[in-house]
Parts: sequence; C-alpha cells; structure tokens
Amino acid sequence: MEALAKSDFLAKGETAAKPLVLWRPTAKTGLLSWLTTVDHKKIGFLYGISGLFFFIFGGFEALLIRIQLAVPNNSFLTSAQYSEMFTMHGTTMIFLVVMPMGAAFFNFIMPLQIGARDVAFPRLNAFSFWTFAVGAVILNLGWFMKDGAPDAGWFGYAPLTTRHFSPTHAIDMWVMGLQLLGVASIAAALNFIVTIINMRAPGMTMMRLPVFTWMTLFTSFLIVLSFPAITIALVEIMMDRLFGTNFFEVSNGGLPILWQHLFWIFGHPEVYILILPAMGIISEILPTFSRKPLFGYPIVVFSGASIGFLGFGVWSHHMFTTGMGTTATAAFALMTMAIAVPTGVKIFNWIGTLWNGHLTMRTPMIFAIGFLWMFMIGGLSGVMHSAAPSDAEQHGSYFIVAHFHYVLIGGSLFALFAGIHYWFPLMFGRKVSEFWGKTSFWFVFVGFNVTFFPMHFLGMEGMPRRTFTYDGDMGWNVGNMTATIGAFILAIGVAIYFLTMIYTFFKGEKTSKDPWDARTLEWSLPNPPPEYNFKVIPTVHARDGWWYEKRHTEEIQKEQAEHAKEDEAHGGIHMPYQSIYPFLASVGILIGALGVAVIDPASTTQDPGFWGPKVAVTILGGLIMFVSVVLWALEGNDGYHIHLNEDGSIKSEDHHAGH
Amino acid sequence: MSSTAAAGAIDHHHDSTTVTGIPNKKLLMWAFLASDCMFFGCLISTHLIYRLHPPPGTPNARDVFSIELTSFSTFILLMSSLMMALAVNSIQKGNLKSLRWSLLTTIFFGLIFLGCQVYEFRNFVFEKHLTITNSILGTTFFTLTGTHGLHVLIGVIWLTAMLIYSFTGRLTEKDAIDVESMGLYWHFVDIVWIVIFTAVYLLEYL
Amino acid sequence: MIAPASTAHASGHELEQSKFWIFVQLAMLLAVITGLELVTVYLPFMKWILVAALVILSTVKFMFVIFYFMHLRWDKAFCTILFFIGLVLAGGTMWALLKLFSVADSKPLTLDAPAAIVRTVA
Repeated sequence: MEALAKSDFLAKGETAAKPLVLWRPTAKTGLLSWLTTVDHKKIGFLYGISGLFFFIFGGFEALLIRIQLAVPNNSFLTSAQYSEMFTMHGTTMIFLVVMPMGAAFFNFIMPLQIGARDVAFPRLNAFSFWTFAVGAVILNLGWFMKDGAPDAGWFGYAPLTTRHFSPTHAIDMWVMGLQLLGVASIAAALNFIVTIINMRAPGMTMMRLPVFTWMTLFTSFLIVLSFPAITIALVEIMMDRLFGTNFFEVSNGGLPILWQHLFWIFGHPEVYILILPAMGIISEILPTFSRKPLFGYPIVVFSGASIGFLGFGVWSHHMFTTGMGTTATAAFALMTMAIAVPTGVKIFNWIGTLWNGHLTMRTPMIFAIGFLWMFMIGGLSGVMHSAAPSDAEQHGSYFIVAHFHYVLIGGSLFALFAGIHYWFPLMFGRKVSEFWGKTSFWFVFVGFNVTFFPMHFLGMEGMPRRTFTYDGDMGWNVGNMTATIGAFILAIGVAIYFLTMIYTFFKGEKTSKDPWDARTLEWSLPNPPPEYNFKVIPTVHARDGWWYEKRHTEEIQKEQAEHAKEDEAHGGIHMPYQSIYPFLASVGILIGALGVAVIDPASTTQDPGFWGPKVAVTILGGLIMFVSVVLWALEGNDGYHIHLNEDGSIKSEDHHAGH
Repeated sequence: MSSTAAAGAIDHHHDSTTVTGIPNKKLLMWAFLASDCMFFGCLISTHLIYRLHPPPGTPNARDVFSIELTSFSTFILLMSSLMMALAVNSIQKGNLKSLRWSLLTTIFFGLIFLGCQVYEFRNFVFEKHLTITNSILGTTFFTLTGTHGLHVLIGVIWLTAMLIYSFTGRLTEKDAIDVESMGLYWHFVDIVWIVIFTAVYLLEYL
Repeated sequence: MIAPASTAHASGHELEQSKFWIFVQLAMLLAVITGLELVTVYLPFMKWILVAALVILSTVKFMFVIFYFMHLRWDKAFCTILFFIGLVLAGGTMWALLKLFSVADSKPLTLDAPAAIVRTVA
C-alpha cells in the first residue's frame, strides 16, 4: 500500500529549510488560469483548439489549391503563391493539425485511462504546449510579412532551401518553426513515456493498458527517437543559411542528398506518429460499439510495437528514384513490404472485433468503420510503392498525393473525428446530435472520395505533384474538375461537423456518466471530469477496468471506501500548483527564435556591426528563457492538498508550506 | 509521517511512489538520453559521410589536428566524470561538504575541457586556416565538436547552479535524484566524447 | 554544514563504501584504455585490425561509463532497456547511412567524372 499513498511530497515537507516563496498563481478562471494551467485536461483542450483552428487554416489553403487546379491554365494563384499554399498546407496539416490533435487526446484521455491524477511532469507539459504554440506562430508569421510564407515544400529539400535559392526569411521561419515544434513534441513525448511507465494505478499492468494508451506510448517513443534526426537536419540548413557553412553547398563538397536521408529518417517514423494515435482511437471505439472486447489484444499491441520499430528502417523508400544502389534499394523495398504485415494484422483484428458483435451504429462507430475502409485503400496503394520499379513510375505524381491523403484523411482524420465524437460527452458532458453527426459523416465521406479517388488516375496519367497548372490537352481536365467539386463537398461536410460541435458545446443535450456503456477507466468519471480526476485512485482488476467495475459494484465500493480513508490519512489529494514559468520560458524562446529567423542583420557582412540587432534580440530571448527556467526550478514541484465531500465537491484546500 | 524518512535510510535505487520503482526524473533523463543518442548519431554520421567523400582541396585532417591536446582534454573529461560519480555518491550519503568539493572539481575539469576546445578552435582557425566556411571538413568538424561543447557548457551551467543551490540549505539527501539526473547528463556528454575521440580524431591517424 | 547528514546506512553500507574505490579504479582503467587507443593508431598493422581494435576499445569505455558511472549496473533493468532502444536505433541508423554513402553510386561527380560516364556508356 506504500505505493498508493503518494507520500513523496509529505516526505519532502519535513526538511527544516523554508521553501522559497515565489509567486503562485491560483486563478481558476480567466486568461491567467489558462496561461498558468498545469492541468492535463486543460492543456489537452488547448492542443485540441489550436489543432482545430489550424485545421480550418490548412483546409482553406487546400481549397485555394483545388480552385487553382480546377481548370487548365488557371491564373487564380500565381506559381509563387501556389508554392506557398502547398508548402503551408502540408506543414500545417501534419505539424499543426494531426500532431496536436493527437497530443490533445494523449493529454486528455491517457492519464484518465491509466487512473492517474496528472502527468508525471505537469509544468513540462504546459511548456510543451506553449512551445508548440510559439512554433506555430513562427511558421505562419510569413503570411503577414513581405517575405511571404515558406514555399519549399513540407520536406524542404536542399538545396532549394539554401540561401542561394531562397534568400528571404520565409525558409528561416520554416526552419525555426519546425525546430521548436520538434522541441515541444519531444518534451511532451518524454512526459507521456514517464507517465505511462510510472504513474499507472495499482493493478494496471502493462498488458492491461487500454490500446489507446499503448499507442500513446509507441507514438511517444517514435517522437523521441525520430525528431532528433530532423533537428540535426534543420541545424545544418540553419548553419548554412546563417553562417555560410557547406553542408548542402555543392560547390564546396556538400551533399544535398544527405538532407533527404536525414529528413526521411525523421519523416517516415513521423508517418507512424500520425497514424498510431488514430489506430489507438479506433481500437477503443470498435469494441465499445461492438459490445465485445478487442479481438487479439496482445497481437494488436505487438503489431503496434513492430510498426514502430520497423518504421525506422524504411525511410529510403521515399528516395528510390535517387539512385542508392541496388542493395540498398532492395533492402528498403523488403523492409517496406515487411511493415505492411503488422498493419494488416491490425486490420484483421479490427474486423475480428466487429465479427459477430452487437454493432450499434452511432456516429463514432460510423467514422471508425469509415476509417477501416479508407485506411485500407491508403495502405494498399502504399504497399504498391514498396516495389521500387513500380514506385519509380508513381514517384512525384498525383498517385502519391492520392495515397497519402487516403492515409491521412481517411486514416488519421477520420479517426480523430471519431475520437472527438466518442469522447465529447466525457469532455463536456454534452452529446452530439446523431442526425447531424451522421450527416457530416456522409458529406465528409463522399466529398473525400470524390476528391481523392480521381487523383489515383491523374497520377497514373502522369500528372506531377506540386505543379501549379497544366495544359488542357493532357487529359487531366475531368479528374481535376471532379476533385475540386469533391473538395467543396468535403468542406461542406467539415463545416457541418464543426458547426454541430460548436452548437453542442453550448446547447447540446446533457448526458449522464458513461453514455456509451464503455469499457475503459476514463468513463468511470463524472462528466466533465473534476480537476483532481479520480476521487479515489482506482484499483484495476481486469483489462477492461471500468467494465469490471460496473459488474462488481459492491466489491469496488468497499475497496474505494478503504482507499479513500487511506488517502485522507495521508493528507488528502495532492494537486500541483499552477505556474507561469513554462509560459514565460516559451515567450523567451519566441523572442530568441524571432531573433534567429526574422530580424535582419544591420547591413553588409563586411560591417562589424553586422550581427548587432540579430544577436541582441536572440540573446534577450535566451536570457528570458534562462531566467524563467531557473525560477521554474527554484519554485519546485510543490502542491497543495484538497479534501473532498461525499459528492466529490471540494471541501477544503490545504496550503501547508513545503508540501 | 513517512516510513522511509522515519527509518533514516533512503533507498536511492527504489522510489516507492512510482509503479516501476524508478524515480520519474531518472526515467525522464534516460529517455532523453536515448533521444540524444539519435541526435549525436545523426551528427556524427554527417561528419563521417562527408569524410568518405572529401572534395578536392580538402586539408589533411592529420595536419590540422593536435592529438596531444585532444588526448589531454579526453583525459580531463574522464576525470570530471569520476568526480561527478563521486558527487552523486556524496549526496546519496547526505555528505554536503564532499558533494561541494566534488561538484567544484567537476566544474573545474569541465571548464578546462572548454578552455582546451576554445584554444583548439582558435588554433585551427588562425594558425591552420581551417574555418567553418572554407571547407566541408571545417563545416562538419566545428559543428559536431561545437555542438558537443555546447552540451558541456550547458552541463557546466547546470553544475554551477547546483553548487550554488547546495549553499541554500534546501539541497538534502532526499534531493539526491536531482544531482543524480544531472550526473547522468554529464556522463552522457562524456560518452559522446568517447565516440567523437575515436571516430573524429583517432580514425584520421590510421 | 547547513544540513548535516544524520543518517547512516545500515544496509548496503559496504557497497556504498566500496563504490568510491570502484569509481577511482575505473577512472584509472579508462585513462589506461585511452592511452592504449592512442598507441593503437601508430601500430603497423592492417587498417581493418586497427579500426576493429579502436571500435572495441571505445565500446569497452562506453560500456564501463554507462554501467558503472551511470549506475545502470545497480539500477532497474528498464533503464538499460530504455537507453539501449535509443542506442541500438542510433547505431543502426549510423551504420545504414554510412553503408548508403559508401556505395559507388553515391560518389559525387567530380570534374572528370562526366567523361568517365560517357566512356562507360560508349
């Protein structure tokens, strides 16, 4: 029982030295409460809102692209604007939509699923979000500047990104923005790893973890291990741009191909970073609405692990056409074929879950089944690329565009939409209208297929990616027109989806606890969950913990009453103090990054004052960050204790110094 | 209040508040170091790849490097690792005096290492005319060793902050994990240098 | 001293005492291995033997530091697993990258290379 008692903080309180008194924000509402929050649910909410905001942004860019391509020789966008659009559409959708939406679910759901009251490092979690926000701002700053937005593609292939070909600050902002998003993702992922390994409730063994939590763990490992590669690549391109080094400068022996390798060492695991959370969400929804446990749970988990591991050995299939030599090409082709196996295994597990289940066709379930189909199509067109000769045909064509949109929209986005529907009652205590939910699904489903299915054919007919227009006699007119019409149907579907969500948030039908009769621990909480999450830390007796609790109410009640008494004897529920320093540290990073990326040097390189303003701003930002981090460390991970009434409302708060 | 504190002895290898018994901070640091392996792995790969294909006119690395200096700083960094391990040992016994001396020595060795690096860089740039812009060797060498040096610098700042903190009276045996995770970082910087010493310097002499 | 240590270790006391000497002896050993490495590069053997020797010697150093100085030997096995996930992936990536860039196809073209290509085509 020692492990239950969480006596760590009490033990610390015994020291003779007084704690350093720093400003402790206590606001529970208003702007300050959001800036200083360390509550994983609020941070998850912030991630979700930013993700949805950028989703509208990225979607708008996509519509402009489709308008431009609707008819041949269109002049709706200039070629330069078109380059900005597809670069920012890709970067936004990957880094500012799917990743933060995934992070939103990790933050909100994962601690609840393992029966924890918060993540392991609440303030680091806040820092992750604010650094993400800073990266997002820097990435999009170009729209408001004369330099324009980044325009070298989301993969930023050197030497296109070198100073010679992209002299403006647009690429500097792309480099700096991505760098910070990487820092934010790594910090968040480290936090999730420690949380899942170390903060599980008693009885929650690893093989009892909900699959979504498993996928959170794998995704976090992928982030932690793949992002350093792009960090290095970005450092190298930044050195080239700022200091004139030769990493990608061909005339001095630089090898631009190295950028591609480093980028895809990160880029391919990144693909799994985008899809594994989706697989986790689907693995939660399908069992709930099939009234069956997940079919072959251990196999699903181990497939996830092998996808994650193999994901590091397939990067060069993005580069088959660069001429790597036959051995390397064959090796990477084989690895790519191999990685399709665990993915296929998962598909069969999901079908096995549906098989003979009592299916209830609610909106989340419909999105989940849509995911199954669409992701499978994307997976099949994907495994075609593993054959290098076939890939050489499809490389750089619209076939690739069709493939990854099937995986990213039909896969990731459908699952995220399903997840929002599924967990909305838990997050806000209101339920989305089934009619409008299903209407939005059909619009999204039809629009998505009408947009992207013709692209397979366009690609086969040779239409290249990233080209801003085409001639009327290429035979691509019908396909492009259809795709554009589809894009607008998709946009209508997304609009219905969001309007429904906004309406539900304010006016939706209130629901009771556990409206779907679900299986995992987060549904044992009242909705919306209180800030301390669990009144009593649950003890987990089975893989589907909440399902078991619902069927053994007496036993659980007795057990919880006992644990509540123990908790009270140990001083109540420990809550971490809010803190402003993670936010301030991120502000420092913002200023420093602006110094590196945006501020112009004084005049010419010959001038000794050349670096003046740039260095000054960068150092200022660095100092703000440093001071914030020092104060952050000094303030310590203290907290206070709360005592609850029977009904779960807070009876009293206990702010003994040193706790 | 707490049985662990009452018994007097703190088990520094088991944290009863976590599921695995590994303190959160230690787990965080090991996961971060795993990530840093990839970081330096990619950076060292970059250097070695460019060494595989030196463009014509690349200076001979053997003429530039000074193996005596580098061996000396390698030795110094190893000794700083020893002092760091002793510092962790001291705080785990609650011996603050010994902790401070060990930390001070670690910082001192760290600064000597940095001093050697500054001297080396100045020597390369002004005497041997190898700069970060004039050749691919300079580019990758200075970026790689510079990034490592930056890690050392961060470590020295962290160590110094911890040394100052130890005088406030708030650092006790219970906070040994803070010193220990700092130590993990410092040792990691050392093992990266072990790899760099072999891969970047010694291989050039074959 | 502001907070004198009033605690004494009842269990594991001897290990704690001997750790000091383990660390000191280990540091001496590492210094000796570094010296050996230095000597190795000047030995008149075949290059691959020397490279292998260097790799083995630095791996030994590496392992001593992580298992002793970084306490992996005395810690829960999970720390070791966690770190080795990163280490193995980083090592594998480095190996693959170096292999990829050593094949003939990856050699950058030099000034006279186009001529060579023309020759092979002809």
